[in-house]
Amino acid sequence: MDWLTILVFSPLIGILILSIQQAEQKVTISLTGILATVLPLLLSLVVYAQFHGGGDLAISHQWISFGNGIFQIDYELGVDGFSLLLLLLTTIVSTLSASVAAAQIKQGLKAYFLWFLILEIGMLGVFTAENLILFFIFFEITLVPMFFLIGRWGFVEREKAAYSFLIYNGLGSAVLLILFAAIFAKTGTTNIEELKTIMGSGNAVSEEFRFGSLLALLIAFGVKLPIVPLHTWMVRVHVHAPIAVVMIHAGILLKIGAYGLINFGIGIFGDQFVKVAPFIAVLGLINLLYGAFLAFVQNELKSVFAYSSVSHMGIVLLGVAAMNEAGIQGAIFQTLSHGLIAALLFLLVGVIYERTHTTKLRSLGGLAKGMPLAAGFLLAAGLASLGLPGMSGFVSEFMAFLGLFESMPWLAAIGTIGIIMTAVYILRAVLGVTYGKTVKSFAGMYDLTRREMIPAAALLALIVLIGVYPNFITHTLQYALESIMLGIGG
Amino acid sequence: MSAIPVNAYLLLALVLFCIGLFGALTKKNTVIVLISIELMLNAVNINLVAFSKYGINPGITGQIFSLFTITVAAAEAAVGLAILIALYRNRSTVQIDEMNTMKH
Amino acid sequence: MLENAWLIPLFPLLSFILLIFFGKQWREKCSYVGIGFTGISFVLSVIVLFTQMANGSGGAEAAWLTIGSIEFRFGVIVNPLNALMLVIVSLVSFLVHIYSKGYMHDDTRMATFYSYLGLFTFAMLALVISPNLLQLYIFWELVGVGSFLLIGFYFYKEEAKAAAKRAFIMTRIGDIGLLIGMILLFWQVGSLEFNEIFTAVRDGSVAEGLLTLIAILIFIGAVGKSGQFPLHTWLPDAMEGPTPVSALIHAATMVAAGVYLVATLFPVFEASPAAMTVVAVTGGFTAIFAATIGLVQKDIKRVLAYSTVSQLGYMMMALGAAGYVAGVFHLMTHAFFKALLFLAAGSVIHAVHTQNIEKMGGLWKKMHITGPVFLIGALAISGVPLFSGFFSKDEILLATWYDGRYGLFILGLIAAFFTAIYMFRLFFMVFAGESRTTGTKVHESPRSMTYPMITLAILAIFSGYINTPWFGTFLGDWLVGDSEFLPFEHHEGPIWVMLAASLVAFAGIGLAYLIYYKKALQRDFLTSHMPNTYTLVFNKYFIDEFYQYTIEYGVRAVSYLGSFIEKYIVEVIVAAVTGVVKSVGSLGSRLQSGQVQTYGAVAFVGLAILVFLVVWTGGYL
Repeated sequence: MDWLTILVFSPLIGILILSIQQAEQKVTISLTGILATVLPLLLSLVVYAQFHGGGDLAISHQWISFGNGIFQIDYELGVDGFSLLLLLLTTIVSTLSASVAAAQIKQGLKAYFLWFLILEIGMLGVFTAENLILFFIFFEITLVPMFFLIGRWGFVEREKAAYSFLIYNGLGSAVLLILFAAIFAKTGTTNIEELKTIMGSGNAVSEEFRFGSLLALLIAFGVKLPIVPLHTWMVRVHVHAPIAVVMIHAGILLKIGAYGLINFGIGIFGDQFVKVAPFIAVLGLINLLYGAFLAFVQNELKSVFAYSSVSHMGIVLLGVAAMNEAGIQGAIFQTLSHGLIAALLFLLVGVIYERTHTTKLRSLGGLAKGMPLAAGFLLAAGLASLGLPGMSGFVSEFMAFLGLFESMPWLAAIGTIGIIMTAVYILRAVLGVTYGKTVKSFAGMYDLTRREMIPAAALLALIVLIGVYPNFITHTLQYALESIMLGIGG
Repeated sequence: MSAIPVNAYLLLALVLFCIGLFGALTKKNTVIVLISIELMLNAVNINLVAFSKYGINPGITGQIFSLFTITVAAAEAAVGLAILIALYRNRSTVQIDEMNTMKH
Repeated sequence: MLENAWLIPLFPLLSFILLIFFGKQWREKCSYVGIGFTGISFVLSVIVLFTQMANGSGGAEAAWLTIGSIEFRFGVIVNPLNALMLVIVSLVSFLVHIYSKGYMHDDTRMATFYSYLGLFTFAMLALVISPNLLQLYIFWELVGVGSFLLIGFYFYKEEAKAAAKRAFIMTRIGDIGLLIGMILLFWQVGSLEFNEIFTAVRDGSVAEGLLTLIAILIFIGAVGKSGQFPLHTWLPDAMEGPTPVSALIHAATMVAAGVYLVATLFPVFEASPAAMTVVAVTGGFTAIFAATIGLVQKDIKRVLAYSTVSQLGYMMMALGAAGYVAGVFHLMTHAFFKALLFLAAGSVIHAVHTQNIEKMGGLWKKMHITGPVFLIGALAISGVPLFSGFFSKDEILLATWYDGRYGLFILGLIAAFFTAIYMFRLFFMVFAGESRTTGTKVHESPRSMTYPMITLAILAIFSGYINTPWFGTFLGDWLVGDSEFLPFEHHEGPIWVMLAASLVAFAGIGLAYLIYYKKALQRDFLTSHMPNTYTLVFNKYFIDEFYQYTIEYGVRAVSYLGSFIEKYIVEVIVAAVTGVVKSVGSLGSRLQSGQVQTYGAVAFVGLAILVFLVVWTGGYL
């Protein structure tokens, strides 16, 4: 069975069913929309089981060939441990996001779900694509739905946010496309595994070309991750996109940057990456501290969490730059963990916004009184975000810093300021909203409904699960990590 | 039958095409423009037929292709005129330089 | 039994989980769940303690986190120190659980309270049986969260919110020190297991300078947790939490975790004389520094809080002076008498509904149990002979004397003198003299509150006898007995040290008696003669303000600088880029005239040029 293809295109079933439904039947549509994301979730579990059952999931079909067969692009899908975990993250967060959307999107629900499902195809494809062209196609597929999802269903400045999303990411993909074309022309292949061998052997292409390629990769994925100063679009999207979309965006789309950086950056250009590692570490440090300090002075809950994402992605960069097993595993863990935590945080922001119609810190306070459960979840999510042991954030931060202290102790020591600052700004925001005097009383305040509780509890459970027993994941990651380490000669 | 050289056909087609092109690019009346487009298509037809007889690989393909073109051209003229009528009803003019709603 | 010691923390965790889920439905019955589960933990702890005494140390471990070839593990280890801590923590927690049933009886959020208590107890118990530094660090942070949640229990009060936030951040600053120290140690030793660390340190495989750095970094963690100078300011603020919490977390157990950390890693500290000096001096300075502040505070809980800071400094001083047994001994006795004092203070607050000692008085006659037990606690902490505090303090003073730190020895004596004064100032102002309370009718607390206090009072009297110069040093022998890493030392002290300690205690009590009971001396002597000093001490040496003006404003300044950069540099660059794109775009759109014929002409000319070029270059464009 070609499980991966089935998985990647499984949202199509939902799209087909949705397209024949009438837009007025909201209940049916939201049910279909949610179920359509449950299908990939189940399939991804099948894939997970297959992966651990030793089944060979990789597939390859002839697809496009030109120039008398010199240039050939195949349809190749495959997973390693890292992408498998990201697939799971994608399907889980998508389902939860869909259920949030079903509750919060008031109009145009059908169109919303259609775009959303296309977006999911793109995300699933990005993580399974085994060659650059296919990767690029799926990468582009994620852009278009996001543009519409932000632009049509977002908050006040939604259109501006949608355009800045499109411009930045469009530029990023342009760089990516040029790079992929150049690589294709030079090496005649776009298969990632083959490229690893070709680029690793050192004779096929010049050193300058490889450095240039790495730089292009850094820019392209740096926009996505995002690396300061390419982050402004991301803050805008976090603030103005609809909550359900931000869950996807912060939870998964940002992770494409990390995935690309680790899988292509280190995987293909391992030797060059080692040389630019200090530079990347400095970028990571800037991300970590800049995001943290800015998050401290934001007046708006969503901006706080947006800058917090910038800061947390800095840890991914730091872990990657450490160039040892601990660091890279830390970066991977951070990718997954932040996906879950950010999704949870924004879910709760959505809950608060629905009750109060504001996310300004100044007009929020003492919410724990009116909605104790939501406040409890928000506090738990905040604690997870600031790296409390027993939750996933700690494991990743610990590993990233463990790795970094081995290779660049001074930088790591400065980076620890970021950990303190994280506590400072998270507590400022979370306690400011939930604790203290009630600033304004909002009519019709009610606590989490069951429909909101289930996704929140599911996310929190995963966060705690990874935090309490991280070996649960390392098992899956093992081979991926070994092959990455092989790439940098470690 | 005295052989008319292929050059003559091509020359005729060229002249026809240039007239058509000139008309399509300069005339203000949309009907004339459509007719000019027909002229260009027919120039192409002449070329096709000429090559099917005197080309490097003579064969029936060129003639069949020109039949296709004639059919498509007919359809195109029908659709074009239909659009033109619709436009005329809305704007009561067939001047092509007034149909500039697609500008920036 | 020892390998199953992991069951002990599990019961409070169970209590936490159950109460989080079902607390709302159970209402009053919550307290029984909490008490029951902690009770089981206590019983198990006692069994573990006796098993350890009979069979020696033991433990069990399993893999937790694998990074390539590196493996981090979690598990349990039971050695004398851990077993002792288990019993102390589970006992005090058990008593506080019972006490809270009375203290919190009219609070609607009792279930939440008990669940937090369960979380804290779980973390604290798991902390003390950690076999490696990473696990210790994990639970170290978790006890911090327990403390944070309980300080902020009255979340609707702004002060509680600020105090909780401050406690968390202050301890986190310390924790970062611990984290860095831990990671550095890992890259030196290759493992975080205590035994392997000690072996590596003993074999000298860690360079001396680096070892000192590591030890000091780890000590910073202890400074944060144990409220040592300069990270002490959160602890007095933490008194915003309910009083049973102050007794459990901020007196008996969590704040002692710093001392426990230094004691656990004692071989590491001992290998670095410089680090030992840092520990001893910080401890000694904190002891006297906090004691002076305690002299002038007006809030009963704050006086006790500064007293805690001071006593923790005492323990640190002992450890820094190589007095391992002395430090741990004082930790134990202090846990009992300070918990007792806090619970008694809670009982008083429960009765008079104020925390200001100026508004109390004459309670001795009205509270027949609280009064005597408070007196016992005060006598114990002041180091009056025959009470537990006397023996442990004596041991500490001896340790400093033998370590040759005579300055610290004198500092310790003075601190003991101050301790006696402020404790009896408290006692006389609260219990003696005229009643200054208004309105409320004072009554003794319910039995659920008095029984725990009586239990602790008995312990405060007798727990000292397990390690005395007279009846044998059982505790000391046992603690260092079967460890290959701890030095065995016991000082048969000169009798005059003991005499001096008693004298100082009695002098302090006497002075307090004269000032606050007999009123023979002017109370405002200090205020009127040295107003500046008084203001300085009363305002806690302006440390809070200093932090506010330096660190807090500093961070704020950096943050505003950051947002300035964001707004005026990053955004401007972005705007410039988008501006260029936009203007190019609008320029291009000018060409879009809507004249189809123009488009056609342009396309034709373009085509012509292309064809021309192809021909011109001979087909090789």
